[in-house]
Amino acid sequence: MSKLSFRARALDAAKPLPIYRNKDLPDLNDCVSINRAVPQMPTGMEKEEESEHHLQRAISAQSVFREKKENMVIPVPEAESNITYYDRLYKGELRIPKQLFHIQPLGLDNEQPDYDMDSEDEILLNRLNRKMEIKPIQFETMVDRLEKASTNQMVTITEAKLLLNEDDYLLKAVYDYWVRKRKNCRGPSLIPLIKLEKRDGSTNNDAYVAFRRRTEKMQTRKNRKNDEASYEKMLKLRREFSRTVTILEMIKRREKSKRELLHLTLEVVEKRYQMGDFTGEVLSEVTAPLAEKPVYTVPITVTNGNRHNHKAEIKIKTHKSGGLPYHGYHHVSVKDEDPFDFVRPKKKYTRREPLCRPGRPAKRQHIVNKADIKQYDFHSSGEEDYPLSPSSEPDEENDPDGTFAFRRKAGCHYLAPCLDQTSGLLWDHPELAGLDALRHRQSLTALSVPQRCVGLARRRVGRGGRVLLDRASSDLDGVLKQLDSGVFSSSFPKGLSDHQVPTQNHRTMPGSASSLTDLLSNIQALRWRFFRPRSTQGDDSGEGRTGRPSMDNRLSGGLFVHTKNSGSGGITEEQYQVHQQALAQMQKQQLAQLQLKAPPPQQHFSLPERQNTQVHNCRYITLDSAGAHFAASAVISAPGQVNNENKPDNTSVNGVVQPLGTSRPPHSTSTSQGGTGLDRSGRTPSSGGPLLPASHSTTPQSLPNHRGHGSAVSPAHHHHNARPSPSSLKLATMATSSLDRVPKVTPAISSMARDNHEPERLALNGISETTVPMEVT
Amino acid sequence: LFFIFNPSPARGLLVGLHYVCPRLSLIYIFNIFFRQVDVIEGCRLPVLRKNQENEDEWPLAEILSVKEIPGRKLYYVHYIDFNKRLDEWVTPERLDMKKLQFPKKEAKTPTKNGLPGSRPSSPEREVPQAQQKCLPTKTSISDFQVLQQQVQPPTITVRLCFDFLSPLFKFSQNGTARRPMPNQPGRKRKQPPNCGGTDEDSQDSSDGIPSAPRMTGSLVSDRSHDDIVTRMKNIDCIELGRHRLKPWYFSPYPQELTTLPILYLCEFCLKYLKSLKCLQRHLTKCNLRHPPGNEIYRKGTISFFEIDGRKNKTYSQNLCLLAKCFLDHKTLYYDTDPFLFYVMTEYDSKGFHIVGYFSKEKESTEDYNVACILTLPPYQRRGYGKLLIEFSYELSKVEGKTGTPEKPLSDLGLLSYRSYWSQTILEILMDLKPDNGERPQITINEISEITSVKKEDVISTLQYLNLINYYKGQYILTLSEDIVEGHERAMQKRHLPIDPKCLHFTPKDWSKRGKW
Repeated sequence: MSKLSFRARALDAAKPLPIYRNKDLPDLNDCVSINRAVPQMPTGMEKEEESEHHLQRAISAQSVFREKKENMVIPVPEAESNITYYDRLYKGELRIPKQLFHIQPLGLDNEQPDYDMDSEDEILLNRLNRKMEIKPIQFETMVDRLEKASTNQMVTITEAKLLLNEDDYLLKAVYDYWVRKRKNCRGPSLIPLIKLEKRDGSTNNDAYVAFRRRTEKMQTRKNRKNDEASYEKMLKLRREFSRTVTILEMIKRREKSKRELLHLTLEVVEKRYQMGDFTGEVLSEVTAPLAEKPVYTVPITVTNGNRHNHKAEIKIKTHKSGGLPYHGYHHVSVKDEDPFDFVRPKKKYTRREPLCRPGRPAKRQHIVNKADIKQYDFHSSGEEDYPLSPSSEPDEENDPDGTFAFRRKAGCHYLAPCLDQTSGLLWDHPELAGLDALRHRQSLTALSVPQRCVGLARRRVGRGGRVLLDRASSDLDGVLKQLDSGVFSSSFPKGLSDHQVPTQNHRTMPGSASSLTDLLSNIQALRWRFFRPRSTQGDDSGEGRTGRPSMDNRLSGGLFVHTKNSGSGGITEEQYQVHQQALAQMQKQQLAQLQLKAPPPQQHFSLPERQNTQVHNCRYITLDSAGAHFAASAVISAPGQVNNENKPDNTSVNGVVQPLGTSRPPHSTSTSQGGTGLDRSGRTPSSGGPLLPASHSTTPQSLPNHRGHGSAVSPAHHHHNARPSPSSLKLATMATSSLDRVPKVTPAISSMARDNHEPERLALNGISETTVPMEVT
Repeated sequence: LFFIFNPSPARGLLVGLHYVCPRLSLIYIFNIFFRQVDVIEGCRLPVLRKNQENEDEWPLAEILSVKEIPGRKLYYVHYIDFNKRLDEWVTPERLDMKKLQFPKKEAKTPTKNGLPGSRPSSPEREVPQAQQKCLPTKTSISDFQVLQQQVQPPTITVRLCFDFLSPLFKFSQNGTARRPMPNQPGRKRKQPPNCGGTDEDSQDSSDGIPSAPRMTGSLVSDRSHDDIVTRMKNIDCIELGRHRLKPWYFSPYPQELTTLPILYLCEFCLKYLKSLKCLQRHLTKCNLRHPPGNEIYRKGTISFFEIDGRKNKTYSQNLCLLAKCFLDHKTLYYDTDPFLFYVMTEYDSKGFHIVGYFSKEKESTEDYNVACILTLPPYQRRGYGKLLIEFSYELSKVEGKTGTPEKPLSDLGLLSYRSYWSQTILEILMDLKPDNGERPQITINEISEITSVKKEDVISTLQYLNLINYYKGQYILTLSEDIVEGHERAMQKRHLPIDPKCLHFTPKDWSKRGKW
């Protein structure tokens, strides 16, 4: 063969190889040497083993004989079979099932002890069995537990007792035996186990250590990204779990409280049963002070996020007459569920008024949550209407008060609620007692929607000029409920209600109004003040609408009056000059009033066309033309906005339709709106001066700035106390029509307003950032 | 060191002499100075053993260990050029003391010293002689022992010395000595992890911490962890079901069990028990009658069960411990998680008795379709091994891959695989019919695809069968008469083929499962 053929191409695995039989190729032997061109493949054996005698012999035998010869096989250590006791050892038979076996991965744990008893144990067991019965499996379980519990140190007898929960004698016997046996045991455990690796690497070369864990090195390198992601997930999971734990903790606390409450209730019932208090006399006796003091926190002050409520509040405000100096007052505000649930049927967060107001040191803020009264109503876990402790669990998300929410201050002392409320109320008027005292500060108040009397209430101006009704419960509540719409629809003589004079003799009428008739007579006799919305019949001059909340009608009526009075030409600049003058004059008067301590306010308004709205104790809020214009301009400038602050203007006292001063300067409106403040100023001359600004808290000028408080007028906002939109729309249309005629009025008003109420305005600007300046209109 | 350990200066001098003139025959020296000669570890001498024909033979053997049981001494001998599985404890009577050779201090040349095959594999031997001198290897350890033994007969002292010295040697062995070793051309792909330092899995570093074996595969070719402990069988006898097995190699069963005359295994869950009583008790609690896995094949009495090394750790570990008794290169260093175990059983009325098994990596980077494979000794040479191999290739066919067994192969493994490959390939070649009057032809790739046998294995088989010839400018396959005849005879013997129709196997893509 030529040299070339030695360098034959490498064997190509992809190249077809023709197959010949040797007999077909007689000349093949000449070519054998070329075989070398094919690379020798390794056998895959360890080199030195390849040379082993028996293997070589077997290989050569195979290559020679092409099959294994019996004496050429590789010898192996012999194994012997046929264990005679096999059948006794492996009892039972297994029939081959038709299906292939399929193992459930978790089905293998049959919780059997790993320890297997040996013959030594059997001796002990036999001995023990003389005294008691102990099964081998029981023994094995005991030893198994002992073994598994003692990893580094053997368990002590006390631990064993906890571990085994067996009869003492048996336990002692087995334990002692186990200890002895374990000490003699050569291995680390009575259950022979594969030696485990130690992580310190000391066992790296121990031949008896097997099945080491594969190090994580490789995996982390491979999946580092994965690891980070999952680490973050784990962190998140942990956070969520801890939150869950917190929630559960709180639920636990709540449920505990509930249980406690239940137990207490049960106890009360049992006690009552023992006392024979089947009529509930004792209970009411005991709970009377509790029930009287209740004094609910004011739910009415729903702020920024909650305009409709605000609107609603104002509508139901009434003026309060009589009263004591504000200092030392308890805030007695009753939260009436009905009307407000209407507003926000699902979620209502009762909020406390800030307990400490600047300049008004709260001596005893007495706040009893509604839940206290409803203590026998067991709320289900899902109920959220009345958080059991509203102040302790501020719901940040739904916190309507935002930054104004009450927070306890460190270092401040908060006095405990005064239990003896009655006496506390009358601390400076000891001669007043009970109902009289209440009545003295509260007036009977009715709401327009629903038309019912809410009982004794006191109007108060809250933050941002919102008007709050502080309700007081009294013995009359039951009776007052009967003062339903029917009752006050039969309107009282207007003349009577026009000037409500709280006479001093009312103080000397203890328990006078114990029945409805008495009450009515009292009201009619003007011994009791009763604030109620004007009945619909009274103002049909405007639209003649019935069933419409009277206030709105009054407003629209007022506007009508205004337009009538001011003529078709609308408000002129001159008129506004007059207004301004009147305003200044009025202010002076007010100041004088306050300083002179003149409880019966003088007539403030000198303008002839203005209706005399002077009342003895209260300012009546009326809507004058300017106010109407403001309202209208507000509507125009910010469509969908309505001057909510005008609503109070429409309240009537004792069913008397408040004749609307049509051309009353805006300022008068503002003063009357701050009714409470004026009341205060009227009654407490000492504090009059400084309080005056507060009484101006809501002014027409600031109304547009009050967008936060004003509600958008839209059909969707027909809640009971809210001004129905038709009227406001009417107002708007009216305003637009009049605006054509008096385009310059509004700026004048605004400037005037600014002059007079700069401080409030600034404050209000601060409150609401979405203010629409008047000038824009 | 030796002077410190030697109480007598005279003896020390002697040792020093030995140290200086290692080539002197120690036997000679000791014959002069000592009347009594101790046979100690490292000595070589002919040892009597019966061969398969029950004839007496005196093969040369090395003393690996000496133990004293009451009354007499026993010597653990390894017959040179015989497989380790034949190592055994022999009585002094079987030793031919006349031809006793004491271990040579410096005799590392592979050809000369004729170390047993089970010795640390090749690296040292391929190192140039000059470098070798400074390499203390295991042999040198035993050399030192020899010296100690010679001067201080009590074995305890020897043990102490050994324990004291060994860390030093291990250090040099792993840390420095092997480092400069060049990669040998033609070496098997699997290099010892500490060779060349390229193996990523290796935890080897130069800080002297012994390296851990690579983390893939189940066999070790590197025997750096091979020491006197693992070189010796530690279990005398295993009782498994109806059979008693004589282990061939070391297996890391709990150490306290190694002294038992018989280790009892539960036939079905393979739990190891120290006594028959324990086994009896265990059987009242163990209700397994088949390997605890999914049966994926059944034909006749033969079944295959698939066991996940991660899901059924206990069984997998027990199986590995048993298998280690018969597989020299198997490593149990790491856990069984990345492996699947296919256990072949034979059914009878008592249950499904384990016959053999093979393990397989869930994900093999090197096309291995078998990691370890074993037919239990009682079932050997009855065709079961080939059945196991056939089954492993059937699985590869389902997977659509070619595969090869993990290396190194044992002698029996090589024979079995060669036999299987030969038969499989020859069957294909002989079944090829000429088409269109032309000579039938086939590519190696085609053979590989049909059989799922890896291309390299096909080539090596063709080579081994001497079928490849270069004829008239091209490679051809030639089938000689005796090959054909031999094949036909072999096929007649093969009575247990795997029936692919009975295989219910869906391969899983383990790479998508994250961690095995």
